[in-house]
Amino acid sequence: METTEIIIRDDGTLVERTLRERELDAGPAVLEALTQGVSRDIRNVMSIPDWGLVHASAGFNHTLWSVAIDRIPLHARFRLVKGVLVPAFASASDLEMPLVWHAPPEVRLAFVIQTQEHEDGVRLDGNWLFAFSQSNRGYRLPLPNLHDDCRICTGSFPDHYPTGAEAVLASLEQFRKSKWNADLMRTAEQSQRFFRFQATNETFATLPIEAEDWTSLCEKVSTDLMEEVVL
Amino acid sequence: MKNITVKYGVDSITKQVEEDFTFGDLQESDVFKAALGFSDRTKALLDGIEQSPGTVIPAGAIVRLETAANTKA
Repeated sequence: METTEIIIRDDGTLVERTLRERELDAGPAVLEALTQGVSRDIRNVMSIPDWGLVHASAGFNHTLWSVAIDRIPLHARFRLVKGVLVPAFASASDLEMPLVWHAPPEVRLAFVIQTQEHEDGVRLDGNWLFAFSQSNRGYRLPLPNLHDDCRICTGSFPDHYPTGAEAVLASLEQFRKSKWNADLMRTAEQSQRFFRFQATNETFATLPIEAEDWTSLCEKVSTDLMEEVVL
Repeated sequence: MKNITVKYGVDSITKQVEEDFTFGDLQESDVFKAALGFSDRTKALLDGIEQSPGTVIPAGAIVRLETAANTKA
């Protein structure tokens, strides 16, 4: 189809403009190329016992799995300070215990797994741990074994699985049993104000974070991967 | 002077800066750090492409800052 327009410019000159339209044969390859950077959120993909619901963000090259967790297993060394048990990640002498820190409602934790198709199954690209505020700002928790971009230094475990679900399960299991050491530790003070426990008759109860605003003990983080997290 | 917009996560700020203001100046700016809450380890992107610290930021640019990944010591 062809249309002709006559335009009068500000200076009074007349201009003829011809527009020609034709439909393009955009095959699947063209559409795929145009949508390479687009991902689609899929909520409630599966439910993992003891952890909760898993959401996914499916992109062209990878899938990002988000698990909204409400606790962090802290297999680390702990020290008693003024009646409160706090982590002493860099210690070699304090008591090692597998305590579980329960997040207060205002701290929204996301355990994230990235996979991509590989041969007959999937390849696990990495695990991340983010803390989000109610206003969706992302933060790095004051934990060792967390890189600046919140990628978890998980230690070695297999990175090929038949399905994405198995990669998610294996990642959570590695997260559950891994020991937290001082590999990427900066300062113990924030950790010890954030992760606090008190012995009760039967177990160790999580104490409130020792700060008016929990984000003041964390570092604000922004990465392109974070934007794909489905909360 | 020129206007630039800087985004970090869900936060953004538009501010007037000097004509020769570079991406490195932005990454080290205490004013922008205080407003957006980023740390010393960032990378600056323009239209998704990482920029070098010495490059002057174009007027009207929308700069996206991201947390730079460190490596295990």
